[in-house]
Amino acid sequence: MKIKVIKHILAANDEIASLNRKKLADADVLGLNLISSPGSGKTTLLEKTIPALLPERSSVIVGDLQTGRDAERVAKMAVESIQINTGLSCHLYANQIQSALDDIDLAQTDYMFIENVGNMVCPGEFDLGENVKVILYSLPEGDDKVAKYPTIFSVADIILLTKCDLKPVLDFSMQRVKEDLAKLNTRAPLIEFSSKTKEGFDEWLDWLRKEKREHVGRQVGFVKE
Amino acid sequence: MHEFSIVSSLLEQVLEIAKSNNALKVNEVEIEAGVIRQIVPEIMTTAWESIIVDTIADGSVLKITVVPAIAKCRICENQFEPEIDNYLCQKCLKADVDIISGNDIMLKSIDCQTLNEQEEQDED
Ligand SMILES: Nc1nc2c(ncn2[C@@H]2O[C@H](COP(=O)(O)OP(=O)(O)O)[C@@H](O)[C@H]2O)c(=O)[nH]1
Ligand SMILES: [Mg+2]
Ligand SMILES: [Zn+2]
Repeated sequence: MKIKVIKHILAANDEIASLNRKKLADADVLGLNLISSPGSGKTTLLEKTIPALLPERSSVIVGDLQTGRDAERVAKMAVESIQINTGLSCHLYANQIQSALDDIDLAQTDYMFIENVGNMVCPGEFDLGENVKVILYSLPEGDDKVAKYPTIFSVADIILLTKCDLKPVLDFSMQRVKEDLAKLNTRAPLIEFSSKTKEGFDEWLDWLRKEKREHVGRQVGFVKE
Repeated sequence: MHEFSIVSSLLEQVLEIAKSNNALKVNEVEIEAGVIRQIVPEIMTTAWESIIVDTIADGSVLKITVVPAIAKCRICENQFEPEIDNYLCQKCLKADVDIISGNDIMLKSIDCQTLNEQEEQDED
């Protein structure tokens, strides 16, 4: 017997993601999904950003295969910081965010930063309920990564080109990155950034505040019509 | 590696549907994956074969059809079929799109053997 079904395989994840988005919006919180390769500077970015946003307050959820180190690094400055150990899974799921949100005082939170597992492919495919996707791309990774990971760059709402303080010691073609992005994503601002020298930092903070004003509750990435 | 999380959600749904139809065995599962998802069929079928062991879907065949994507320009609303590495709208030369289809992974059909079918066969 052949049974016809039309079902979204990831429907369960997407439904929970929608609930998360609603919960954040009801508390007037902007949800941000931070995606990059391991070591591109996500946790460092949070360490610099959270104090700079004050008096607006931030909470953090960090997904990592092992250890609670990243959550500890930001614990002092965040309203709440929660580590999720994903074990072997290469990305976070919406239900992990759902249970973490139960432990976060959203009334005291303005920005909900979610540091995804270091990976340029899988995290882009799983909606967590965020409103914006922040892609970090560090200079030492080389200037061919936009071409190699087109999907993640195509859904970015902002691209932070991190570790730009290393420009003098690397042969990195900014031109190449811009050319590759020109056909993938002309919406996301590309910010040349360094957590060390604070290059691009003001532009990043301005962007965050603008998103907070305009995009709470917004659905990102792939839209169903 | 995300193929594994996809097949585990898939298996959950397949077993649920099979159960509610009183199936004894699942023979074939058909899915459709949008090209944007960058599913690698070989990895997907390997993942499937490894998780169906000891379930009523053990031995079933996973058929995967990759379907094209449709993008809609946020600026001029032009609809077109993007390449995986090219989302440029030919009308306004901007790459600022929503993907309105071809991003989904859908379960389309399940072929299974039910108790009734087996009894009919036994009578033959
Ligand atoms: N030179 C330089 N190093 C950085 C910068 N940001 C982060 N790092 C270093 O990169 C390494 C990985 O950073 P981390 O924030 O842990 O990356 P994550 O894995 O993406 O969270 C650490 O040794 C940081 O000190 C930067 O802007 N410039
Ligand atoms: Mg980190
Ligand atoms: Zn257009």
